[in-house]
Amino acid sequence: MSAPPLMSARSLQRELPGDPPVQLVKGIDLDITAGKFVAVIGPSGCGKSSLLYLLGLLDRPSGGSLAFEGRDTLPMDGDARARLRLERFGFVFQFHFLLPEFTAIENVLLPIRRLGRLREADARRRALDVLDSMGLADQAHKTPDKMSGGQRQRVAIARALANDPSLVLGDEPTGNLDTANSARVVEIFRDLARNQGRAVVCVTHDNDVAAAADQRIHMRDGYIEGVD
Amino acid sequence: MILSRSRLLLSIAIKHLSKRTRQTLVAVAGVAVGVGFFLAVSALMIGSQNDFVETLIDAAPHVIISDELRSPTPQPGRLAYPGAAIRIRGFKQRTEVRGLRSWQEIVRASESVAGAIASPSLSGAVTLRVGGREEPLAVVGVDPAIEARVSTIEEVLVAGRLRNLETTQGGIIIGEELADKLGVGMGDIVGATSARAGTRSLKIVGLFGKGRGGLSAGSGYVLLREAQSLTGQPFVINRIGVKLSDPYAAEAVAASLERRFGYKAESWQERSADFLSLLLTRNVIMYTVVSAILLVASFGIYTVVSNSVMDKRRDIAILRSIGFSEGDLQGVFVAEGIIVAVIGVIAGFLLGAVLLVILGSLEFTIQGKVENLPLDRSPRQFAIAGLASLVSAVIAAWLPARKAARVDPVDILRGAA
Repeated sequence: MSAPPLMSARSLQRELPGDPPVQLVKGIDLDITAGKFVAVIGPSGCGKSSLLYLLGLLDRPSGGSLAFEGRDTLPMDGDARARLRLERFGFVFQFHFLLPEFTAIENVLLPIRRLGRLREADARRRALDVLDSMGLADQAHKTPDKMSGGQRQRVAIARALANDPSLVLGDEPTGNLDTANSARVVEIFRDLARNQGRAVVCVTHDNDVAAAADQRIHMRDGYIEGVD
Repeated sequence: MILSRSRLLLSIAIKHLSKRTRQTLVAVAGVAVGVGFFLAVSALMIGSQNDFVETLIDAAPHVIISDELRSPTPQPGRLAYPGAAIRIRGFKQRTEVRGLRSWQEIVRASESVAGAIASPSLSGAVTLRVGGREEPLAVVGVDPAIEARVSTIEEVLVAGRLRNLETTQGGIIIGEELADKLGVGMGDIVGATSARAGTRSLKIVGLFGKGRGGLSAGSGYVLLREAQSLTGQPFVINRIGVKLSDPYAAEAVAASLERRFGYKAESWQERSADFLSLLLTRNVIMYTVVSAILLVASFGIYTVVSNSVMDKRRDIAILRSIGFSEGDLQGVFVAEGIIVAVIGVIAGFLLGAVLLVILGSLEFTIQGKVENLPLDRSPRQFAIAGLASLVSAVIAAWLPARKAARVDPVDILRGAA
């Protein structure tokens, strides 16, 4: 019927050790497909960020399975997971999370240089192209403190896209932006999914983001309440 | 690929350090002072040690073969009945002829070592007499032409020359001090008496300075022939001094000569074993002190890197989310320590060089002679200081860097959101 999912979670669990242990994610089944923009919504503390960190291989599940392109990610060691994040994933957070000492283009160059597939001149051209696609070509040599909030967030998106990821993960990416900038970011995310064929998963409180998504996953108390 | 990765990690490390200039400079200064003083102290210690050892080496021939035996030869009566059940007493002791038998052969054997010169001599005891004053003298008979090449007497003479022994019939060279005691000077006649050959008159043709070259105040030099007749031991040689081109071969040469001829052959190391062990203690003390200096310098590096890790926890989480591995993060912070150490070592080399110039320009007057401090400027010390600093820097940076690698990005991201 449709293409196999990019990522699929089965009975995914995450609990923090304690007495009693705190259950953040309680057995979630989820398929993430290329070309789709998915929003994860729900009240604070419902486990949506925890789910995102699990999907982004930043955190390790306590139970269940998680496969990326059919490959089980659980037995992978730290380096293999880092490699996968570098090559295939892109993160955008609520705060821009740029390295303050680095200019916009240097921030975007970080993942490109770490991957090391391009020669320096090509890497810079690639970084500049991505910045340009975010409308930031003229900001390339500014440090984050010289830019506006919206510009910083778009640099962060450019950095997430630097290595042409298959999966873009957003953690409240519009949480700190005004309406105009939020709308712009939402537009970019939609474009990433529909026109560029990437899978986009976005944890959000923002109704505009949720409305723009192809699919909304409602979470409550660590499990999925409903999908629409 | 690996090169580009280390360049990337290095560039992040440099960025981190450049934002905390003051702390970085303090840590760099710590390493620089440590390295600088290490160089100054070790140059002094090793320089003075070399100077001292040189004096020890040159004070006397490198190997001295004398007509003594480490253990007396067994008496013929014992040799005839080895392990005999009856103990023989009161047999006639064979009188050993003093002197080195077949000394020409020993000289030849010694000189077969490349670059070695052997000087045969005879030493004996006489009494010097001037007016009513008498002084004992250990007289050494030498061939001036050979002896001059083997020992440093020529250099310590304050009056006359060693060659004067050949040109003046009955010439003698004694120490300044002894001459003062006897109240004589250059050209004066002294009487020399020995147990076997009565009294002869000798003329002072040279004086050596005091406290120099290990010559004792109570010794004197005459021509070999003169010594043989003076002590009533014609044709006898009881001491051969050997000078080697490599003084450190002395122990081996001495051992082989002793094995071959049976006579006691003493190397300069054996003669000055107590001094050499003293030097060893000195070195242990020196290296302990300078290692402490370098260790303290590495505390500065630990502090800088440790603070950097604390400050950059958020950056660590970001880099991890981008796809940097734990090893990458550890690399960044170890690189910070290495950068501090490298700059510190370079600055320390400069500081050390300046200190050496200053120390080298100091002048001291010792017994009327202007002397400079003996300094060892060998690159070996620079290499040791640099390497030790780098190693301690890596260790000092590695400890906090490990912490950086263990930062859980999720903790940071959750806290920030």
